[in-house]
Amino acid sequence: MVDVTTGVVMTEEMIKASQVGMKAIGAGMAVGLTGIGTGLAEMSIGAAAVGAAAENKDMFGLALLFTVIPETIVIFGLVVALLLLF
Amino acid sequence: MLAPERMSRLMVVASKEQMEPVISELYRNHVFHIEDFVDSGTEDYQGFHIGHPLSDASEISGQLLKLRAIENAFSIDREKIEATKSEQAALRKRIEEELPSIETNVEGLMTRRSALDNSIKDCQQKIEALTPFLTLPVPLELLRSYDTMSVHAGYVAHNVELAAPAEVWYQPSKAGNFIVLVTPANQKDEVEKALAASQYTSFPIPVENGTASERKAGYEGQIQILEGELKEVNDKLGQVKKEQEGFLVACEELLHADVEQSEAPLRFATTNLAFIAEGWVPSDSVEKVTAALNRVTNGKVLVSKLEFDPTRDAVPVEYHNPSFSKPTELLMDVYSRPKYSEIDPTLFVSIVFPLFFGLILGDIGYGLILLALSLGLMRFLKGEEATMFIKVLRNASISSIIFGVLFSEFLGFSMPWQPILFSRHLNIGGEASAHGSAIPQLMVLAIWIGILHITLGRVLGMINHARMDHGSHRTKSILANFGWILTMWGILVMIWAFFPIPLMPDLTKLPLVAGLNPAILVGAVMVIAGIVFIARENVLDVIEVPTIVSHVLSYARLVAVGLSSVALAMVINYISIGMMIQPRLVELHPINILIVVMGGFVFLLGHTMNTALGVLGGGLHSIRLQYVEFFTKFYKGGGVKYSPFGMKRQFTED
Repeated sequence: MVDVTTGVVMTEEMIKASQVGMKAIGAGMAVGLTGIGTGLAEMSIGAAAVGAAAENKDMFGLALLFTVIPETIVIFGLVVALLLLF
Repeated sequence: MLAPERMSRLMVVASKEQMEPVISELYRNHVFHIEDFVDSGTEDYQGFHIGHPLSDASEISGQLLKLRAIENAFSIDREKIEATKSEQAALRKRIEEELPSIETNVEGLMTRRSALDNSIKDCQQKIEALTPFLTLPVPLELLRSYDTMSVHAGYVAHNVELAAPAEVWYQPSKAGNFIVLVTPANQKDEVEKALAASQYTSFPIPVENGTASERKAGYEGQIQILEGELKEVNDKLGQVKKEQEGFLVACEELLHADVEQSEAPLRFATTNLAFIAEGWVPSDSVEKVTAALNRVTNGKVLVSKLEFDPTRDAVPVEYHNPSFSKPTELLMDVYSRPKYSEIDPTLFVSIVFPLFFGLILGDIGYGLILLALSLGLMRFLKGEEATMFIKVLRNASISSIIFGVLFSEFLGFSMPWQPILFSRHLNIGGEASAHGSAIPQLMVLAIWIGILHITLGRVLGMINHARMDHGSHRTKSILANFGWILTMWGILVMIWAFFPIPLMPDLTKLPLVAGLNPAILVGAVMVIAGIVFIARENVLDVIEVPTIVSHVLSYARLVAVGLSSVALAMVINYISIGMMIQPRLVELHPINILIVVMGGFVFLLGHTMNTALGVLGGGLHSIRLQYVEFFTKFYKGGGVKYSPFGMKRQFTED
């Protein structure tokens, strides 16, 4: 097979290696992007939750609960990454 | 188990003469949760009003206040004092005889200490004011009390050039360029203009006699003397603290108890001649309390049980759990205490939380580290909550060790045996994958756990609604919970009909009925029936149906977080041992030895970090699965804490 951009002939091994690389990149993106998503979501929830807990200590449990709800997004990312890699 | 301690509502009625013995007996028994009387003017309570404190209340409060001031000054930590119990009567005598003299002594010392502190601060301020003038070789008294001259002192950006005749002393330095100017008073305006042009900031001229450096030395000498005296006073205070610490905390406990007792009538309903105290007592201590009250009043008291509605009345809640799930009550209180009439899920949490923790951090090495840590902390931390927390950690780490054996893992290395449960050994560094990993199977296992956990939650929800609701709403909400279970399992059956999944029933090969897999049909019927049941209670809840999928998938974190911790451990091992230590062990010369030592350091640091991350990940994610995925299915919470009248005595006894 010939790579169009460089004109280098790719052997089967190279193709396999590049597939592994692509998988790794995909896994990295799955974790990284979902991490950003979770971070964005937790940013405002966390700030509000800390505020609420500072006002009233009984809110702590509920505040923690609200804060970790978006965590699921990054866990899904992690699951996808693990399934991709192994 | 699964329900809070059974409570009874008691009403105590007696004449006012019996108030003191009744109060002190209730206090001693420490089981009566007083329900505060609120003077709402309802018909039932006409003629009743809130009681007055016993006669000596304000006097004792005053004493207690003074005592607490002393304790604050000493910063006494009650938890660090060894509890030796002193007898109450002897203690009262000592309070009368010794406490006043201790108080005056300490107060005197405290006043002396703050006076010394102030003098030291004074001297330090004076030294600060003198600092810029230190280089000036002129005595400071020459800089003031002129009629025809004006003196300026301060920092400038650069030297000032003046047309007027002037005596100038200029000293450039890092802090700023210090200038002292003496000019005729009638040319003040011109001088000030010139100074302003060179960004002049003025200093007040210290009212001192002699050169600045002499004066500074003088003040420093003074500070030294004052500090010596301060140390002496502090030593004396320290000695008093050491001698009287135990006595003071015992006094505080006794006086605190006295104050609480003398203020108790504020929570009772009283008439001119009698009083009524209402409250809650664990059902099994009712007889004991009744007998005790009858004994101290010679039978001149009426104690009767009142009827109550367990779902409507704010019954105080005391946990009633087997001893191994006691520490988990801490995790429950963080969320919310259960209501009296609902199921108390502490038992489930106390079993499932360590299981989840072990599943996430299943590693013999980390488990042992955490176990050692919790056993060590148990010696140092004394508070009730701290002990509970450490016990939770201990149980979790034991579970972690057990799962470590099942997973055959030790700090990321594989143990000599094959993993009994599915292997989590990843292919990192090309050599660590001794057993090969079984990630899909692990994921399915986590999903199974999720399905069962959520089903359990819904079943508990059905029981709770059956207990707490009434009328048609009751049937609807029970059916709605059943509907959620049906929908979840219906979706599952349909998935099984389409895809073969390891560890799950394979329904793809069922004989077709009318060209359709019967499992699809069954699943669809279950989903539709479930949604109908949900909608009957509240149509808007149908929007929430997708959460069935997301909540079940959320349990995948049990494996995902665990695997990330395994991967980190393996990476640490590979970097420290595979890359730094092993290749250098072939030939030992200084550089190699250095790198081997560094490798050891990386190993230690990495695993310390991974342990911390493991506790955080394992702990937070396991508890989150309880709070978010499990509790939202059935748990309301918001129960009132049972806090009986009286106290746990630490330092006093009868």
